[in-house]
Order: sequence, then C-alpha cells, then structure tokens
Amino acid sequence: MNIREFIGNKILIFDGAMGTMLQSMGLKAGQIPELLNIEDKDKIVNIHKKYIEAGANIITTNTFGANELKLRDTDYTPEEIIESAVENAKTAAQGKEIFIALDIGPIGELLEPMGTLAFEEAYEIFKKQIIQGVKCGVDLILIETMTDLYEAKAAVLAAKENSDLPVFCTMSFQQDRRTFTGCTALSMVMTLQGLGVDVLGVNCSLGPIELQPIVDEILKYASIPVMVQPNAGLPQVVNGETVYKITPEEFGKIAKTMMEKGVSIFGGCCGTDDNFIREVVKAVENIKLNKLNNKPICGVCTPSKAVIIDGVKVIGERINPTGKKLFKEALRNKDMDYIFKEAISQVEAGADILDVNVGLPEINEEEVLSEVVKNLQSIIDIPLQLDSNNAKAIERALRAYNGTAIVNSVNGDDKSLDTILPLVKKYGALVVGLTLDESGIPSKAEDRYKVAMKIVNRALKYGIHKENIIIDCLTLTASAQQEDLMETLKALTMVKEKLKVKTTLGVSNVSFGLPNRELLNRTFLTMALGSGLDLPIINPLDKAMMDAINGFKVLNNEDRDAKEYIKVYGNKEESIKLNKNEHIDLKEAVIKGLKKEAANMTRKLLKEKSGMEIMDEYLIPALDIVGEKYEKGIIFLPQLMQSAETVKTAFEIIKENMALENKKVMNKGKILIATVKGDIHDIGKNIVKTLLQNYGYSVIDLGKDVPKEKIVEEVKRNNIKLVGLSALMTTTVKSMEETIKALRENNLNCKVMVGGAVLNEDYAAMIKADFYAKDAKESVEIAKKVFKS
Amino acid sequence: MPEYDFKISKEEVLRYLGVKGRIEENINNLIDETIEEIKKIIRFNFTYRIFKIRVKKNKVALENCELDFHGNSINHHLRYSDKCALFAATLGSEVDRKINYYEKLDMTKALIFDACATAAIEEGCDFVEEEIRKIALKEDREITFRFSPGYGDLSLDIQSEFLQLLDGYKNLGLTVSSHSILIPRKSVTAIIGFIPKDKKTGKKSCINCNKYNSCGFRKIGGICEY
Repeated sequence: MNIREFIGNKILIFDGAMGTMLQSMGLKAGQIPELLNIEDKDKIVNIHKKYIEAGANIITTNTFGANELKLRDTDYTPEEIIESAVENAKTAAQGKEIFIALDIGPIGELLEPMGTLAFEEAYEIFKKQIIQGVKCGVDLILIETMTDLYEAKAAVLAAKENSDLPVFCTMSFQQDRRTFTGCTALSMVMTLQGLGVDVLGVNCSLGPIELQPIVDEILKYASIPVMVQPNAGLPQVVNGETVYKITPEEFGKIAKTMMEKGVSIFGGCCGTDDNFIREVVKAVENIKLNKLNNKPICGVCTPSKAVIIDGVKVIGERINPTGKKLFKEALRNKDMDYIFKEAISQVEAGADILDVNVGLPEINEEEVLSEVVKNLQSIIDIPLQLDSNNAKAIERALRAYNGTAIVNSVNGDDKSLDTILPLVKKYGALVVGLTLDESGIPSKAEDRYKVAMKIVNRALKYGIHKENIIIDCLTLTASAQQEDLMETLKALTMVKEKLKVKTTLGVSNVSFGLPNRELLNRTFLTMALGSGLDLPIINPLDKAMMDAINGFKVLNNEDRDAKEYIKVYGNKEESIKLNKNEHIDLKEAVIKGLKKEAANMTRKLLKEKSGMEIMDEYLIPALDIVGEKYEKGIIFLPQLMQSAETVKTAFEIIKENMALENKKVMNKGKILIATVKGDIHDIGKNIVKTLLQNYGYSVIDLGKDVPKEKIVEEVKRNNIKLVGLSALMTTTVKSMEETIKALRENNLNCKVMVGGAVLNEDYAAMIKADFYAKDAKESVEIAKKVFKS
Repeated sequence: MPEYDFKISKEEVLRYLGVKGRIEENINNLIDETIEEIKKIIRFNFTYRIFKIRVKKNKVALENCELDFHGNSINHHLRYSDKCALFAATLGSEVDRKINYYEKLDMTKALIFDACATAAIEEGCDFVEEEIRKIALKEDREITFRFSPGYGDLSLDIQSEFLQLLDGYKNLGLTVSSHSILIPRKSVTAIIGFIPKDKKTGKKSCINCNKYNSCGFRKIGGICEY
C-alpha cells in the first residue's frame, strides 16, 4: 500500500494530539515528551493504539521536538529518539493498514534575520531528523506548526533533498490570519506549493471555528490537497491554566463542513484526543472527496506580502550597478546601506517588485547576490526579482530567498534553458525568458515569438507552469534600430495572445542616445502597456513613468472606479509652505536637524567650496556644538541623532559630487564595527556608526550577530586600526571577550573600543578592551585619539 | 490574541529617550506620529501560569514541574510567597522589523520607535500584572513587582526553560536565542509572587544593577524599569 495513491484521491484521517494525552497521564510541565519514546514506551504505543482504534489512517510519531537543539540537555540524540518513536508507532500499527508520519515541529529558535539561527543551520538540523526517519521506515514526513515561512522552507528543502517520501507541511495562524512572524495564508500556499510539497495546510493555535476563514482562503488558492488539524477550540486561559472548550461532536461536525468544501485530510491538534478523532471518522464516513480545481497562482511573494500578477505591476530597476560609480564602489565595499537606500526609495515610490542585479566582474556574484537578497528581505517586504545569468549565484539566492521570487533570466539558448530552468522548478520561482538565442536578437517579431515559444515549451517540459513564465521581447534603442522597434511590441502582443504568458520589458533602453529621454520612455511605455505589457521594469522614482502607468490602469479598467488614481491625484492642491528657515546657514541647519534645508544648502555651497571645506567650516563645527550641548545635558540623544542624520545627508551629497568629479572621497581612517556573536541589538552600534561617519571616518559595518572569525578576517583584509564592538547582554559580553582574544591571538595591530548597556569601565578592562565608550559621542573622541597617533 | 488598546504615554517615551525638559517641535511631532504608527503594528500577546512554590534555602522550587529558580535575589523576592505567576508577553515581530527598517532610513526615527516600543511592552506588562493581581485578590492576597530573569543573580540562562514551561513558542511565537535573548526583541518574561496582604516586598531597586553609577535614567531622576 502506497500513501501516494491516497493523497488527493481519498479522505485521510490523522490522529489527534500527543501532548494532551500525555498530560492527562501525568506529564509534568516543562518535561520533554519525546524522552518517553525510550523511557516509557508502553505509554506512547498505547496512545497510538487509541488513535488507530478511533479510526485514524495516519499516526504521527512522538518526535515533534526531536531536534538537536531541544534535546541538547538530555541524554539522547535525535537519532535515538526517532528510532524508538518510529518503532513505537510500528508496534501500535502492526497488522493494520496504517501510515506512519515522521513528525517534525519547529526548532524553537528563530531564524535570521529576525533571530540568530542561520538558514543552513536549520536545514542541517532538519536533515538529521529526516535521514533518520527515512532510515527507520516512515511513510511520510509531516512538517507542522510552523510560524516562520523561512523555517518551513528549510524543513521542506531538507525533506525533498534527503528523501523520496511525500511531504506534508502545515503552518499555524492567529485570528488576524497571519502567523506570529507575519506570514499570510496566500504566501504560504504560493511558497510551499512552489517548493513541491504534496500536501499543505494549517494546524494548531486556533479551534476549528476560528480556522474556517483561513481554511477558506487556502482552499481558494491551493491546487494541491489541503489538510487541517485544529485545536479543540480556541485555547483559553482560566486561572492561569490553558483549557479548550469544543466537544468532540462539534469538532466532527466542522470537520465534515471543511471536507465538503475541499479539505481532504483532517486530524486534531492541542486539546484533542481519540474521542475527537472517532467523531471525525463518524462524521465524514459518507462524504465524497471534493477535489480542488484551482489553477496555479500567477504571482510572487514574501511571507507578508503577495503580489498577484493580474494587471500591470511595476518592477523597480535601480538595484543595478551598470553605469553607477557609487553603486559599484558600495558593492565592492559590501556597503549595504547604499543598496538599502535604493531599495527603500523605490518601494516608497510605488514599486511592486524589485529587480536585484549585483553583477560586477570583480566581485563574487554567488556570494554577494544571496547576501544582498537576505539583507534586503530583512528590511523590506516586497518580492524580489533575481537578476543574473550565473546559475550558481541564482541557486544560492533562490535558496536564501524567503517566499516566491522571479529569476531574470533565461534565453533561447539550450545551455541557458537546461541549467537554469531546473532551478526555477525546484525552488518554485517564476522565470523571465528573453527572446534571444545564440545567434542574437531576431529582428522580426515572428522570430522572437519563435524563441519565446521554445522557452515556454522547454519550461513546460521541466514541469514549470505557464503561470510562472514571463517573456521579455526586448526593447531596442530608437537611435540605433529604429525600424525594429515596433517588432518588439508586435512580438509582445503575439506572445501574450498565443502563448498566454505574462510579459515584461525593460523600458528605458529605448531612448538611449537621444535627447529628452523621458518623453521617449514614457511614450514607449504607454505603447507597450497598450500592447499587453504586464511587468514594466522601470525607475519608479521617475514620476512621468509612474503617472503613465497610473493613467493606463484607469483606462484599461484595472483600477476600478479609479480608486487608486483618485488617491494619488485627488488632493493635489499643495499648500505652499512658507519657509521660515530661509535665512539660516548650513551650520544652523545641522544644529536644528533640518535635513532638506541642509541638503539644498550643501548643493549650493558646493558651487563655491570644496567638499572638504564644507566639512571643516560647517559640518564638523556644527557637530561639535551639538556634541557639547549633548554632553552638558542641554539636548538629548534624539536631537543629537537628528543633527547627525542631517550631516549624513549633507555628507552624501558631497560624496556624490566628489565621485562625479572623480575626486577621492575624504577619509580620516577606516573603522570596523560589529555587534558580537549572539547579540542582535543593533541600534546602539548604528548610532555610533552615524556619528563616526559624520566626522569623516569610513566605517565598515559588519552588522549584528557577527562571529569572531569574520571580524578577524575583515580586520586583516582591510588593515583596520580601530575596531568597535557592541554587546547589550551579559550573555553576549562573553562573545565580546572571545572576539578581543581572537584579535590579539592573530597579532592584529588594532585597538578595540567596546560599548553597550551592561558594560562599564571595569568590565571593559577585564575583557581586555583598549577603550570603553560610554556613548556614541565618546567613540568619536576615541577615534580621534587613535588616528592622531 | 488578547484585545487591548495601547495608550503609550509620551512621558514614558521621553523618559526612555533620556529626554528631560523642553523638546523641539519637530521631535515632538515625530514622537506623536510614531506612537500612532506603532499602535497599528503591535500584535500584543501574553500568557501566564500559576505555580505553587516552595522557597528553600538557596532555591525556589516550582511544584509539579522541572524548573527551579536559583539565587539570593529570587529567594528574597519570593520569601513570603507560596505561589507565583510566571508570565511572558510580546509585541510581536513586526515591531522588530520596523525598528530595523528605520535604522536604515532614519536613526532618529529608529530611536524614537524603539523607545515607543519599550514604553508599549511595559504598558502591556502592567496590563498582565493587573490581571494576575485580580486572581490574587480573589484569594485575598497581594502581588510582588515583576521580577525578570537577569535581575540580581537570577541567571538569564533560565529563559529557555522558562519559556518551555509557558509553551512560549506555541502560545506567543516567542523564542529565545542560544544566547538567552528573547526574540521578538520587545518581549518580557517575569515572575510575580502572591503574598499576604500585610507583607511588603518593596520596590525594585537599582542598587544591584551594574549600570548603577553610569545610568542615564537615574541621572535624570528615573528608573529604567527593565
């Protein structure tokens, strides 16, 4: 008997809770239930038997928390626990047609970027459990109660890459229809389906009544079988104890309703026992399976934001170093702040998706693309398009990406198709196909269409749905290939109508080499939209382009009742504000923390003075005044920061200007800063960073939770003379001490300053730091000292 | 998730920012804006359990469970108690993400956001504390102030077991890192003792804190309430 024959063809009933049964048999609070697999086998076997007697087809091994982190302080390894757990299940199921599910729950620590557990670490933890489960002979893998989509992804990949068994995956939602980490049901469906799980669904945290709307949403989108394992009602705390209030009969009734709507696998979670399962079995006895027949979703997502491509969506093009000097420099220096700024400004301007391109010959694209993706996902929630033709870089970034991404791109060349399409399939991504091949871009629309057809057919062959294919018919420049320009649009319409796939175009190429580029760009964009373009790749900060799109959406009946349009353009009577800050100078603007004014003044001043002069005559003196006021307690941290941010704005303008004029950017010394391993408090370190940058130091910021090895490596690589370390907890000062030790052991000739809430002068000396910085201002004084000598 | 409308007092926010006296209008406005903004993204959640305890010589043993508290400070804190509540509360992970976001965009805003979040979680804890007090009052008893792992000599390393006892992951999505840091960041775990009405256990004192001499809150005449 093979479970695959049952999935989606027959109704399957899971067992109910293990913990609830164990608690009723006297399991103490805080005790690890998995140990009972070895220490009290009979109890576990009996629970399994009760569920089998109640009519469950699938029983779940008692291995929810059998991972190496949760078992760290016990006498057993995950392998030992899993082996006995599977054995117990087999003993109970002997002689009966029962499937055994290897239960895998969350690790219990949060993954980066929110937590400190690395994705690959999580993967390795799950991998161990899965390999052992497979070895012991389970029938399927159940990944359950996930609240973090990223962790679910690590578990699913571990399951798919280390077994051939069916993978079931459920997540837990709150009443506001999100998981604790903010994942929506739609993002879960898109991502898990993309990763190729066999069954997906929800469990735990809510009762069957509260789960209804979430289940309905899943049933609306899922094209694979759906499972539900509710609690026995909404958990309620009565006098400090958790109780569940639904009766087995009510539970059975709701199971029936859900099955009628299209759920095909049902079971119980917290608070349920064999009586609940018995009622479910009774209630669904005569039900005919209602197969789902949803089409695959056409969309991309992050855990908290899904973008369904059902109309025009804007892809922001600005994360791309081509032709941008500062961007290139930022990439070489791994300066994420520059990239963050590009990302945030595009999101604020209305981009739906961001294209991410970090292709520079002198950087390691494999490493940098996935790093940038991870970093971007830690601060923005819109989906990304991974722009590269390096298969290794693409795979690493797809692995690191949390959600469903777009890969940009493949082309009609067999080699491109056969290396990249399998990755697109494996990670459930969307893919952009360029209508060119080894012989270049065909000039005629019919020939580009042919390439598109080849791409679509090959993708289908690899099991990629049409909904996941996007074709780019390639924009040519009007100045060079004017006669072929219309062929692009002709091909676009053909692709859209005949191949029925989505289309994309990078628009701004069209005007290259001609004056008034904006006009040509906007005109071409409007024409392309009219020809059926779905995903324009543009600069969203270009207002004329966004205006054209907003207008098109109204005329194309996409923006119903012009709601969005009115929101944007309805209240355009901007009152002209009197600028009462007209008569102040840059110094005063800094002291008052007026960013916009400072930016304008800096631009003006740059016409008469050099950047260095502006620094020395205005910015630094202003900072000194602000600093002194801060020391004296006349102003406080928020005001200090506001001035510092104002200087930063001015400084960035100076830097841009210097880059334009090919001057070397001023630099008073290179300082490396980091929050040490295990610590995730970043804000103090970032305050220090801003101030140091204000004073003209170049700061390499390694971020938070940084291992000592990485700090040593970067100090060596950049020949660093001053290191700033931050830690906020007593538990992480230890890492600080170890980092300092590692720096000394490597004979690195650098000074170390430390800071953070739990530190003081004595503590700093004890861990052998050279300096203790009681606040950000002091770190500047220390830097002055170090770089003077 | 419980229904609770946060107020978030501006005085508290200013106190966490270390600000005393008059502030500029633009910062004032920024604080007002941020208070409204954070209210929209807080997903406040809490859980608690009440345990019978036995206070022994150098530990406090929780009945029917696998956890003991060690140290003089917790012993002292619970010296009149035969029962205590363990609670955990969190603002959820979106708050962390937003602070992180503003750190890249505007540090002033990040700083203010962080202070608003601290004020909010403390307000949330007050709410939980009140709920626990009601239970105590029913038994004609009072409660102590909330005592968190890491205070005095109660080790932070118990966070993990503490949360396991409350099933913090399942109930709140609250986790603890390998270095005993609560994640989401704006979260609190604490112990509240039930005490006879005629006993007083005093207020939390700063004297045991290692920042006693350099504390910015004390300088302006306050306490941090961490």
